[in-house]
Amino acid sequence: MASNSRKYYKLYVVIAVILMVFALLIIAPYIWMMLTSFKSTREVLYNPGKVMPIKWTLSGYLTVLTKSPFFSWFKNSVIVSVTVTAAVIFTSTITGYVFSKYRFKGKNFLFWLVLSTMMVPSQITMIPRFLIINQVGLYNSLQALIIPAIVSGFGIYLCRQFCDEIPDSLCEAAKLDGAGDFRIYASIILPQLRPCIAALAIFTFLDIWNDYLNPLIMLSTLKSMTLPLALTYFSDAHSTDISAVMAASALIMLPVTILLLCFQKQFIKGVAISGMK
Amino acid sequence: MKNNRFVYFVLLPIFLLLAVFFVLPIAGGLAISFFDYNPLRAINHFIGFENFGKLMSDKIFLKSTTNTLVFVGITVTLNIFITLVLAQLISMLPWPKFRSFFRVIFFMPCVAPLIASSVVWGGLYATKYGLINNMLKTFFGISPVNWLGTASYVMPAIIIFTLWADIGYNIILFSAGMDGIPTDFYEAAEIDGAGMVKKFFYITLPLLGRTVSFVVAMTIISHFQMFAQFQVLAKLGGPENSGNVLTYYIYKTAFQTKDMGYASAIAVVLFVLIMIVTIIQQRLNRVEWGY
Repeated sequence: MASNSRKYYKLYVVIAVILMVFALLIIAPYIWMMLTSFKSTREVLYNPGKVMPIKWTLSGYLTVLTKSPFFSWFKNSVIVSVTVTAAVIFTSTITGYVFSKYRFKGKNFLFWLVLSTMMVPSQITMIPRFLIINQVGLYNSLQALIIPAIVSGFGIYLCRQFCDEIPDSLCEAAKLDGAGDFRIYASIILPQLRPCIAALAIFTFLDIWNDYLNPLIMLSTLKSMTLPLALTYFSDAHSTDISAVMAASALIMLPVTILLLCFQKQFIKGVAISGMK
Repeated sequence: MKNNRFVYFVLLPIFLLLAVFFVLPIAGGLAISFFDYNPLRAINHFIGFENFGKLMSDKIFLKSTTNTLVFVGITVTLNIFITLVLAQLISMLPWPKFRSFFRVIFFMPCVAPLIASSVVWGGLYATKYGLINNMLKTFFGISPVNWLGTASYVMPAIIIFTLWADIGYNIILFSAGMDGIPTDFYEAAEIDGAGMVKKFFYITLPLLGRTVSFVVAMTIISHFQMFAQFQVLAKLGGPENSGNVLTYYIYKTAFQTKDMGYASAIAVVLFVLIMIVTIIQQRLNRVEWGY
């Protein structure tokens, strides 16, 4: 549709302006959050008409960093997200490879089983999963969030689709040259799966980093919490300290938002890839 | 290829985990719904369909179901409409830098934790200091409204928030679909004298058919399961349960009241609702589109 750009120049400007207005609506909550986080709570409450801080202050951030175990929360979030992402990439690629390139009994049934795990809403499985985690003594530990997330039905499905596009002859040739099964996976399949792995990594990381419901069920003590869960506890406990609540929100939102701005291309491609398959 | 040792070596641990954390819980979830199950009690009785019978006369359940359906119906409809229009507007721009700029901006709320966005929007909606009331007062002279404390405003407030938080995904999915449509179609239509609107309805939309049906189904399924914003913005279900939805009711019944059997029965209802959407989507997708 990009033809005739000169003829439609005016129209393009109008469209750009309309989009700018919508973009501003999207950004506004972020700006309000940032500005509020630099005000004192007194100022927020008694000078609500003023958008810009009259006096810039870091007191909100200081409250978050000194009156809460913020660094433990951050560390917990990093540990869980990084471990799960690495594990999911490994289990998904190797299982996708096996489903794509090997023949074995019960393959269709097992793959159907993988797919069916994607279709069941977490509300059905969450109660028994809590009981199981409790039973094996993992309640209130980070393992309670990590271990059930190691295998991803969606990841296996996505990787299989991508493996199907790698020609079988490539694997057969490597086999004739004496490469073992794991060797073929590591040196032939993995490099070919790069775009798929990038998409899967982004999604898994975001999913786990932002997850709220699982930590809410599985964690109970303040120090063991991950950031999203901790934020609600913090905002309930400090509900009158608005600037501190906004500072905490900013500290939680900004890392992922910066990640998006740095890797925009991969993010956008990742969404498109996973949606189209 | 064949190598059973390697296949078993890989699949055994994977399916062990799947069995423990997916298959067993699915079976367990269905089974518990037939029990009067409380984890704190030693003996839990099998009660058949009693939990399901109780649902029919449970006012909060009925209200939560209606709320869920209203929320999903309105939010998804608006979401699809807005995202189709925005994706189309973006893809019409001839400047690639602008196109990716807008896609990234609209996607920003999708990467932020939903719970953090909800907390921020709780501030935006605040009666006294919230930005929204301030804007309304400055520009229209409207006196402050207690958005989250008024029964009839809670759901609209959550719907607006959810639209803000979630349009990014679909904009990107629709954009990807639109970029895949060969430009010859548009050029041919242009020669025939078709305008923007005609091109959208006669070319873009029909050729996007499968993407639309997929995106609609995925959006419905994800919206049925939304939770965080209801817990934050409609605290404890909101005034007169106006913001209570199935996910929140399930959570509260299972983990606060500890009535896990009853909560599982509600979860089964949610599961059935989601299954219906999935089945309809798969039926629709059997129609083959091609170009």
